[in-house]
Formats: sequence, structure tokens, C-alpha cells
Amino acid sequence: MLDAGLCQNVLISYGHNALSSDSMLAMLMDFAGDDAVFGHFGATGGYALAARRAMHEFNTGPQTWKHIAVDQRAWANLNPLAVMHGRPMSFDNYLSSKYVVEPLRLPDNCLVNDGGRAVIVTTLERARDLRHRPAVILGLGQHNPSVQVAQSGALTDSTGARKACETALSMAGITRDDVDACEIYDCFTYTVEVTLQDYGFFGPGEGEAWFAGGTIGPGGRMPVNTSGGQLSEAYYMGLTPLSEAAMQIMGRCGDRQLGPATETNEPNIILVSDNGGILQAHSCCVLGRI
Amino acid sequence: MAYEKPLPRINGDNRQFWEGCKNHELKFQKCASCGHVRFPPSLVCPRCLCRDIEWIVSAGVGKVYTYAVYHAIYHEGFRKDAPYVVAVVELQEGPRLLTNIVGCAPGEVSCEMPVSVVWEDVTPDISLPLFRPAV
Amino acid sequence: MNREKTYAIVGVGYTPQGRVPGRTSLSFHLEACTNAIADAGLAKDDIDGLVCYRHFPASSDENDLTPYLVAQHLGIEPAYLSQDAN
Repeated sequence: MLDAGLCQNVLISYGHNALSSDSMLAMLMDFAGDDAVFGHFGATGGYALAARRAMHEFNTGPQTWKHIAVDQRAWANLNPLAVMHGRPMSFDNYLSSKYVVEPLRLPDNCLVNDGGRAVIVTTLERARDLRHRPAVILGLGQHNPSVQVAQSGALTDSTGARKACETALSMAGITRDDVDACEIYDCFTYTVEVTLQDYGFFGPGEGEAWFAGGTIGPGGRMPVNTSGGQLSEAYYMGLTPLSEAAMQIMGRCGDRQLGPATETNEPNIILVSDNGGILQAHSCCVLGRI
Repeated sequence: MAYEKPLPRINGDNRQFWEGCKNHELKFQKCASCGHVRFPPSLVCPRCLCRDIEWIVSAGVGKVYTYAVYHAIYHEGFRKDAPYVVAVVELQEGPRLLTNIVGCAPGEVSCEMPVSVVWEDVTPDISLPLFRPAV
Repeated sequence: MNREKTYAIVGVGYTPQGRVPGRTSLSFHLEACTNAIADAGLAKDDIDGLVCYRHFPASSDENDLTPYLVAQHLGIEPAYLSQDAN
């Protein structure tokens, strides 16, 4: 609608009293539909089905996901706003935590929190007159496999991420090697793995080795979810990754700021993702400095 | 004792499926044009958009495509079952079905495990297709 | 790059987060929105597009949360308004 000239300054908003109200219970029953007949509720169960199939097809599981949970928690500990700030997590903490829906443990799940988040998008021309360095939208892509998790026969290679990313990178005129950091929709640890895998950062089953050694944490070579993400900062659907990418590009992230402060790449290009359903929809956005 | 778990909501799309279940028949729509066997039932074939169908009765055998073990209780009706197994079973005829694996411990379930249907009559009108390890 | 067809994020709005009892979902939308408008250095009347993320079912003590409601409480009449699921 911006392109069509319908509007100039677009507000994108999300808010939810998820923790302090009874709406999550209503959501579990509403979204379950007839799956509830078999005791299948909510997103954890759906992603558990996808993650289990992935474990059958290639090398993944808790030994891969522990890196994602622990490194994102390390980022949260650099972010005073993060819900999990001040609560460090070790591999042992992760591996000894209880299952919610096996193979997913509690720290594999995103947070349930109260709060809201909003961003404003405008034209680059207008942005030049405003107070912050603009976080420029360089490319966008979307792909929606759409099939429900119970009917999908391609749970491990059809998240939509691959096509969405190809479209976004191509529109931006860059390659994956130009990416300095990623802000990935992380409803579950496994979602981060499968998204980065589909984005081509590593091949199926190579995630455990790729993540090992703090690759995505502070000081890592490919920082991911630098606010702590939905696992450790707060859950605002796609606005958790998108707003953090914008703040990093603007250079407003304090102790967690990418660049010299965290011994990481300057955030000139950040890859941002969003998911819908149970791996049924995927959006990818390239944000950068120009 | 009254049945405490949620029941399927019968509508114009799924009525024949659940009526089949009541008779312990797992019935799927088969496209009259391209032969695709689909689930859930619907007006059109997702492969060719043809609306003509025939109903086939499945042999009720297949394999576990994937599964999840529920430790958390989201509904009181399932408390006594936990930990219980929710699975996607791929039937020999092609369709995949969300169901439960019963008749073995959760730790004994694995992807690709052969299974066969077993019926649970939960009300006079509703029978659920569950699956157990094939013998 | 066609600079006339290029867009950017220019403001971010935060709210208290974690356990914040006694608040409606609508109030979090409004706090995030007003903070984002101020952060960008814009005035509310500059806002001519509103996209609300898909919301979860409302709590039992709150009305369904539509983009209309958010616009009404912000006192804006956007030229473009939608709710997006992704």
C-alpha cells in the first residue's frame, strides 16, 4: 500500500495480556479444533511433531537445540528489558528441564508474557528527516506451504523459508555471505534451526556442529536473536525479531549492540524472519543500512 | 461415567467420515478424476480441483510418520493418560491422520513403525480411530 | 535501488513486559503505538496506515481486539487498515 501511494506512515502493532489473562486457554481450545479429540493442543505439540520427524531424518535434537536456548539466554542477559534478564542458563539447566511435549522441553518454548510492541514504516525520503538512522527494507519474500502439520508429508523441508529467503535476498541484490546477523522468529528452538538450515547457513543435520562454540551468541560469528528473542526476551509474534533488527541497525542496543561492543560484525545487513501456523507460512525481510 | 474428552464436531464435510468410524470403517474420499486419496474430506480435490469422488474403505494399516509425547496436561480429560502419544499415521492408501498410538509405552514408539487401526467407542455415535503397533 | 520505492523502519515502541497484571491487550497496543509514534518523531495525524498483527482470542473480560478499536482509541482514520496473520 506504500508502493501504491495509499499511505506514507504505517504503524504495525501487537499487544497481548497473554500471561495475566485467561486468553491463552481460549486460544489452546480454539486453535486445536478437532485435534483436541486426540489430546493435541497448541503450537508446542505441532512443532514437537515437526521436530520429531526432523530427528528421524537427520541429526538434530536436544544437543543441537541447547545451543540455541543457551546462546539466546546469553543475549537476554545483555538486555535489561528481557523477561529472562538476570537468569542465566547452562547446557545442564537446559538438558535437565522438563518436557512439555517431548521432544520439546520448557526452554525450547517461547515465553508467554504481557506486553506490546509497535514499529513505524515510512518512505526512505521521509525517513531521512526523522531522528533515527533508518532501518531500510532492502528485500522481502514470503512463501506459504499452508498444509496442516497433521497432513504434511514434508515437515522437514517445506517450511517456506527457503523460497521466502531466496526472494528476499534477490530483491535486496545480496547473497547470504553479506548477512551480518539474523533475527529469527523463534517460537521454538527447532524453528531457529530449521529456518537457518532452509536459509542455507548449514545443511540438514549439520546444525549441531554449526551452532557449537557460541556461533549465534554474543561474540559469535553469526549473531542470532540479539534481544534474547521470543525464547528469552518477550513474545510479540513477528515484531520481536523485526523490532530488534531495526534497533540494531539504528545502533540503539546498548550492551547488546552488534559491532565492537559485543565483538561481532557491524549490523549493516540483518536477515529477519516470521512464521505463521505450524511451519505453514514464512516471511523473510532484509533490513540494512544504506 | 460420561466421556470427558472433546468430541469431533460433525459438519457437512466430515459427516460421512465419522459415520464410517461409527461402523469401524476408516473411509476416505478418492478423486474420481485423478485418483488422489485425500484427508480431511472436502468439496474439491487439492490436486486437480475435481469435485467427483468415491468413498473407499481403508485397510487401516500404515506407519507412524511422526509423533509427540504429551507430558503437559492441556485438558483435564487427558490427565490420566499422560504421558500419552499423539501421532501422525500415514495410511497405506496415502492419507495422513492425526491420532493416538495405544497398546505400547511411549518409549516404544518410533517413526516408520508399522501400525494398525483399533477402534475406541467413546459414545453411541462416535468411535475414534486409534492405532497400535502392528502384529 | 529505486530510492523512490524504498521504505524503512523509523520508530519502535516498547511497553513494560513480563508479568504486568491488570492490563488489557488493547492497552498494550495503545502504549506500544504511542511510544512508536513518539520514537519516530511523528505526530499521530501523520499515521495513515495501521496494521495490527493477528491477535489471540480475547480474554473473557475483554472485547475482541480489532484494528478498528486500536484506530478509534488512537483517534486516527487510516487510509489503509488491516490485520495480518504472518
